[in-house]
Amino acid sequence: MTASAEGIAPEAGRRVDGETRRIVYNDSITRWFVGASVIWGIVGMLVGVLAALQLAFWQANLPPYLTYGRIRPLHTNAVIFAFVGNMVFAGIYYSTQRLVKARLPSDLLARIHFWGWQLIIVAAAVTLPLGFTQGKEYAELEWPIDIAIAVVWVVFAIQFFWTLARRAEKHLYVAIWFYIATIVTVAVLHIVNSLSIPVFGLKSYSIYGGAKDALVQWWYGHNAVAFFLTTPVLGIMYYFLPKAADRPVYSYRLSVIHFWSLIFVYIWAGPHHLLNTALPDWAQTLGMVFSVMLWAPSWGGMLNGLLTLKGAWGKVRTDPVLKFFAAGVTFYGMATFEGPLLSIKSVNGLAHYTDWIIGHVHSGTLGWNGFMAAGMFYWLVPRLFGREQLWSKKLADAHFWIGTFGILLYVVSMWVSGITQGLMWRATDAQGALEYPNFVETLNAIRPMYWMRLIGGSMYLVGMLMMAFNLARTALAGKAVDGETTVVVERVEATEPPWAEILFGTPVILVTVVAVLAATMAVVNNEASLFLATIVVVAAILGTIAVHLAYDRTRPKWHRMLEGRALFFTAFTVIAVLAGGVAELVPSLLVTPTDAMSAEAKPYRALELEGRDLYVREGCYLCHSQMIRPFTFETKRYGDPSTLAESVYDHPFQWGSKRTGPDLAREGGKYPNIWHYRHMVDPRSVSPGSNMPPFPYLLTDKVDLGRTQDKMRAMRSVGVPYEARDIEAGRHDAEVQGAEIAKNLRDDGAGQVDPQSEIVALVAYLQRLGKHPEPENPAAHVASLAK
Amino acid sequence: MSTDENRHEKDESHVYDGIVEHDNELPLWWQLTLYGAVAFAFFYWFGHRLGAIATPGQVYAVEVSAQRAADAERARARGAVDDATLATLGRDPATLAQGKQVFTTTCAPCHRADGGGVIGPNLTDAYWLHGSKPTDIFANVRDGVPAKGMPTWGPQLGVERVEDVVAYVLSIRNTNVPGGKPPQGELE
Repeated sequence: MTASAEGIAPEAGRRVDGETRRIVYNDSITRWFVGASVIWGIVGMLVGVLAALQLAFWQANLPPYLTYGRIRPLHTNAVIFAFVGNMVFAGIYYSTQRLVKARLPSDLLARIHFWGWQLIIVAAAVTLPLGFTQGKEYAELEWPIDIAIAVVWVVFAIQFFWTLARRAEKHLYVAIWFYIATIVTVAVLHIVNSLSIPVFGLKSYSIYGGAKDALVQWWYGHNAVAFFLTTPVLGIMYYFLPKAADRPVYSYRLSVIHFWSLIFVYIWAGPHHLLNTALPDWAQTLGMVFSVMLWAPSWGGMLNGLLTLKGAWGKVRTDPVLKFFAAGVTFYGMATFEGPLLSIKSVNGLAHYTDWIIGHVHSGTLGWNGFMAAGMFYWLVPRLFGREQLWSKKLADAHFWIGTFGILLYVVSMWVSGITQGLMWRATDAQGALEYPNFVETLNAIRPMYWMRLIGGSMYLVGMLMMAFNLARTALAGKAVDGETTVVVERVEATEPPWAEILFGTPVILVTVVAVLAATMAVVNNEASLFLATIVVVAAILGTIAVHLAYDRTRPKWHRMLEGRALFFTAFTVIAVLAGGVAELVPSLLVTPTDAMSAEAKPYRALELEGRDLYVREGCYLCHSQMIRPFTFETKRYGDPSTLAESVYDHPFQWGSKRTGPDLAREGGKYPNIWHYRHMVDPRSVSPGSNMPPFPYLLTDKVDLGRTQDKMRAMRSVGVPYEARDIEAGRHDAEVQGAEIAKNLRDDGAGQVDPQSEIVALVAYLQRLGKHPEPENPAAHVASLAK
Repeated sequence: MSTDENRHEKDESHVYDGIVEHDNELPLWWQLTLYGAVAFAFFYWFGHRLGAIATPGQVYAVEVSAQRAADAERARARGAVDDATLATLGRDPATLAQGKQVFTTTCAPCHRADGGGVIGPNLTDAYWLHGSKPTDIFANVRDGVPAKGMPTWGPQLGVERVEDVVAYVLSIRNTNVPGGKPPQGELE
């Protein structure tokens, strides 16, 4: 395809006879990323279908490598970072070159980016089933892979900003704003959340513990959704949707407002994943109110997408590309309405830990990400291979319908399942007793919905296969073609707006005043901050009016000037994005609340620490929470609400986000060791109807106690108060505790049990949950046992 | 919806790679959702900080005290649990049917479906580890024997179900099911 030069129209009055330049875009990198995205998308969704099957039918677990706890991170990482990641890179490279009229400066960096990213994906696909994980959702990959991700991301950033620096189009289009926000924010999120202390090759401990780790993790987790799955795809929407519809973008001012409000507000919303937990209340409340405020900014993007289709609805009926875009944007609107709703504390009390959340994310990922990807691929591939049209429009239509029905089946079954189970958990009878005291009852009630979800997900996967076939036939029928254009490069003659005008523009002054007042609120008492807040509101309203009145139509608008200065634009984006992160994370990381420093908090004994690593390795946290919320129906089932002190030495935290099985925060001492032993070998022998995978290999695999002391030292370096003598006695203590548990298991009829087997370590950990350690001082205890 | 007025019609610079950017007014209803959400956030935050809106912990504390009062009221109404009442319940077919159901879902995993014992002791012999009186058994089920791994079932099951299941246990003792676990504890 050959792009025309009509689009280049430098600002009136500035054009000086410039040199004409011919540009051939680097479209081969787009072709590579499109191919990778389609392939990994199919792989990731196939793994998703397997995970769905495992939940409905436990026999589909194939221990040790293909159990649900290892498969689920593989699924999420594959669809987020491999499927959407590659799709986003394809879209960004294709559209950015055309929007700024410059070829990617380095083919080498493009190749490093592509192959580096694919290697990371392969590394993830190998290490996750092997059980190497940091135990934090969507950030499971171990530290060497984390470093590789950071390096490849920097390569991507260099390529992107270098392209902007060489641009022949002065102003940055809204798509580019979203790409800038994506690149800088993902870098910050990834690096801050992944900070950890390596113990050895593929094992590390998060530098944050307990509630701090929870807050950082969900700041990351939520904004991975925001800045990896949403902002880049919004940018892609702003390029590909008007292109495909051949319609003007609805509103420039709407894009200005929704861009800045979206990136500023999004970053604060992370704590809505931790509502009603032990997280300090102010952080929960911030998370909730910012999530509610996120509704309009999100819908701004949906509106600009749907209203751009105004006048093209006839085309939507016939063009599969537009069908996917229209449906994708609609699913985006649905998911971003549901999100704020779920962030209201009382609604969250019902929905949290249930399948409703699973349904919510899938309406976003399958509906928004998957459909935007499909629309973009169907539009791109014929153009990338010099074809007039797709190999089969009918097949693309069929993909659309099977995909749509698949999503609806998936989402509706998860709504039903989540609300049903949530209501069953809280149901109490006239006597005030739990209606369904046995957790498995509530699981079996939703079993049919698990089969429905499997059908919905499989339909979606079939659609993906149809797309892959259609795209491959289209590509094979054509020949790789790179886009070209001619640009007139202006000779710059004092056209740059002076930086002072941007830096001291009225919007900046206004925002600074309001921000300073708001920041002061954080350090004064509540009553005074109400007074300050009133001033903030008055200042914001009066200021906005003043900006409007002072608006001089003869001079370029401030935001327009900003669009001409990529560096300033990026700097302001960074500030807008960091504001929320700093305001929420810094106070929490610097100050440990006094109730988290209770004298009752004691580090794990050596064997318990080893058991905990096994718990993380098997991905137990993906189905079992360790966070009892302050609801009477919950405390009847699980015990008193969890406190901050109980998880203060947990690196990483294991509060969990889903209860496919019961909460384990107070599991310790609830059942005898032999119960856990049998439960791991065959969960259904002690818990009939359970869908938990069996873990028979824990009986034969051994814990390497040679590394225990290294682990304790690493824990000490992240702030767990092990004394030198605890570490020195670590191995011996682990052997003593292992021998005690093994003996107890033998006495209760387990037969021969190796004291160093993994099952023993895991039992030691499970029995510790919610319990204070028996010996006040492990070293002294060991000494007394040794006598 | 506002009319499609194109404020950029004259401004050629709002064209990127052929994509024209219009500049329609913001839809009013959209602006109202934006301002409305901001106002809600303002009131909720300050309502919360100034104590007008209860935190989840405060709501919980109120619920717990209400629950305790209701429990005490119910306990008073039903009277103290004594051996005679439990023994009577142990002969009531309706209670036994309910008790058996609770036993199957809650107790069977450790005490075997027929009460012969696996992880937990045999309940069909004449030997008891923690007392053999109906009220002893009732206390063991309700409060558990945490040191031995018997869970505390009271909060989860509620008093009524505990009574039912104790009645059922009383009905199966001394039935000496075949293949049961060897006796543990003292002869009743």
